[in-house]
Amino acid sequence: MTRSARLTMSRERLAAWSMVAPALLLTVTFALYPVADSFWLSLHHIFIGLPQLGSQFVGLDNYLALLQDPVARQALLVTLGFVLLSTVLELACGLMIALVIHEQFRGRGLVRAAILIPWAIPTVVASQLWRYIFNDQYGFANLLLFGDRVTDYIPWLAYPTIAFGIVVLADVWKTSSFAALLILAGLQLIPDDLYDAARVDGAGAWQRFRHITLPLLKPALLLALLFRTMDAFRVFDLVFVMTQGGPGDATQVLQFYGYQTLFTEGRIGYGSAVSVAVFLMILALSLIYLRAIGSSLLERKRP
Amino acid sequence: MRRIVRAFFTGSRLQSVPRYPLCASHQRQRGAALLLVCFVLFGPPRNDSIAGKPAVPPKGQPAPVTLRFVSWKPDHPRVWEEALARFTAAHPHISVVRELAPHSSTAYHDLLTQKLKNGDTTVDVFFMDVIWVPEFAAARWARPLDDKFLPTMREAFLPATTEIGRYEQHLYGVPSRIDAGLLYYRRDLLKKYGFTAPATWDALVRQADTILAGERTTVPTLQGYVAQFKQYEGLVCNMLEIIEAHGSSLLTHDGTHSTLSAVPALEAIQFVRNRLIGQITPRAALTYQEPESLALFLQGHAIFHRNWPYAWELANNRTRSTVAGQVGVAPLPGSTPGQTAAALGGWLYGISAASQHPEEAWALIEFLSSEAMQKRFAQEAGIAPSRTALFSDPDLLAHSPQLQNHLTVLQAATPRPRSPIYPALSHLLQRYFSRALAVEDLDLRQEAARTDAQIDRLLALTRPRP
Repeated sequence: MTRSARLTMSRERLAAWSMVAPALLLTVTFALYPVADSFWLSLHHIFIGLPQLGSQFVGLDNYLALLQDPVARQALLVTLGFVLLSTVLELACGLMIALVIHEQFRGRGLVRAAILIPWAIPTVVASQLWRYIFNDQYGFANLLLFGDRVTDYIPWLAYPTIAFGIVVLADVWKTSSFAALLILAGLQLIPDDLYDAARVDGAGAWQRFRHITLPLLKPALLLALLFRTMDAFRVFDLVFVMTQGGPGDATQVLQFYGYQTLFTEGRIGYGSAVSVAVFLMILALSLIYLRAIGSSLLERKRP
Repeated sequence: MRRIVRAFFTGSRLQSVPRYPLCASHQRQRGAALLLVCFVLFGPPRNDSIAGKPAVPPKGQPAPVTLRFVSWKPDHPRVWEEALARFTAAHPHISVVRELAPHSSTAYHDLLTQKLKNGDTTVDVFFMDVIWVPEFAAARWARPLDDKFLPTMREAFLPATTEIGRYEQHLYGVPSRIDAGLLYYRRDLLKKYGFTAPATWDALVRQADTILAGERTTVPTLQGYVAQFKQYEGLVCNMLEIIEAHGSSLLTHDGTHSTLSAVPALEAIQFVRNRLIGQITPRAALTYQEPESLALFLQGHAIFHRNWPYAWELANNRTRSTVAGQVGVAPLPGSTPGQTAAALGGWLYGISAASQHPEEAWALIEFLSSEAMQKRFAQEAGIAPSRTALFSDPDLLAHSPQLQNHLTVLQAATPRPRSPIYPALSHLLQRYFSRALAVEDLDLRQEAARTDAQIDRLLALTRPRP
């Protein structure tokens, strides 16, 4: 290699590094450093209200305590239930919405815009809205069901199972349109010729959906699934506004528990352990998904 | 890589790019980028470092000071604004900036402690919930006030209201509004059935049953008793009162062990579960905080209502209450007739340990807690006074005849557990109480024993280790 060639190479590498540097710096500052710091804190025993304890290094003690913590176990169950239910429902609703707005009809633009409204509303506002809808005295749900028969009014959020269901419902209402958007993009990639050919072969609407739409939609569905599960795992604001984890911890999710231990109780070490545990679970999930999607989406061979 | 980073920060040119010296505009851009990075890493520059030292005041005049006062959003904002205006008029060199925090005590706590944790010097004076005193003291967030709140000044207050501001040997708070739970009732309905205010919980349930049987034909939505049973801090107060009334307590006398498994404490839970909720108390109360439950009472949908002293003003306000003039108030039932079991609550003024203007901060607190101001707050905002003299003040007695009740109740009220880790204790208590009331098939004994063990473990942390 000549001297000038070597110089050009190193100059190119320098240019590459300097272009990557800002993004790298931001990632390290805002993603890597906080995660690493949380992990480091989670290996300590720090109680804001008890400064005499100092910050004692306790290794994995916080994680062991987490495994035996009945509140954390309850929060994990609620979170998993929430993830499963909300994701399945959101994909189902999203698919239906996408199929409808994919069709040609008058006023389609208007319908498409309308469907995005829930997604555009800030979650805190949406949560407050749903809390009012299911209010026991002046909520719309009771008015709709019972009208003037005030004595029949149901205090929805006072029942553990119903309160959990309402939190799921609010999430499904809010984010189905996001799933629909992703699925719609997938639908638009399916060539019309396939449907025409199937029609010529005498396939009915259901057969066309079952054998053309669904298989070709798989990548888009998986992508929507990935986004929604990871997002559902991080649910916080709905619970914070609607129920504060109640009644009887029925809507206590991991992220809210982490917030409570960290910010209200001042248990810095233990709260960090909760957050890191959530982080690790999401990381594991996304790795599994990426592997599943990778084989079907990223590494798809050209025909 | 290291070379590039060094070059980036020092601005020196790398040897491999000698041919294209950076033109001026590039250098400017790089300077801006560097500034941005510094901003991101170290935060915005402090105001004082930009503006420099405040101008030296003319001789004889104190330097201008801005006090930052963290407060909840008051129910009667006008009274507070007038009070602060009077203070700044009397102290022209001090200006007061109020930072309004959320009304919910827990949300307020989380916001304020974020600032205090970081030694934020932009907080001088704050309202401090009585349950935070040990935490703020132990974490050294609140300034000890022993050198300012002197015994001569303290004597004028009810001992119960100043002692709540003490942790170990020091005082950290000056009473602003110290409250205790009270029982509000419909005087007209009780009179109609020949009852007087109930002295025991059994009597309350019996009275409610009788009145409901008679009145529900005309007012089908009428409820017997409404209070705050949502999973939040107020649930601890409500349950503490009923547990006390059953002759038990939350912790042992020395404060080292949790006693939720004690028979009377379990009976108290059974009482709420079986005889209140779903009977004379609507199940919806499991979602109620103070405003929701008070609304039912103000609309005439409840015979009995548990709330803090501020509710008196609203219940008798003709524009907001349909039962104005028909409201009675009494101490909450206690373990024996004539006793009361009330949770102590309320707010103290505190000074941040990081404040750079403790003298001015103290002047503000002294002014706001003066006799004249406490009287104004009592008259205009329904805030119960804490100065002993005001309880026999003829103007106040004429204005709020329930004042005598406050005095009795305040002197007998029970504080919640006083511990620097109270927020963690409270979460465990809230969970236990909410599960005990809301979950259908629950093994109450097992749940109580489990919570006892969890609380004991936490309390053990607070004891000095050998």
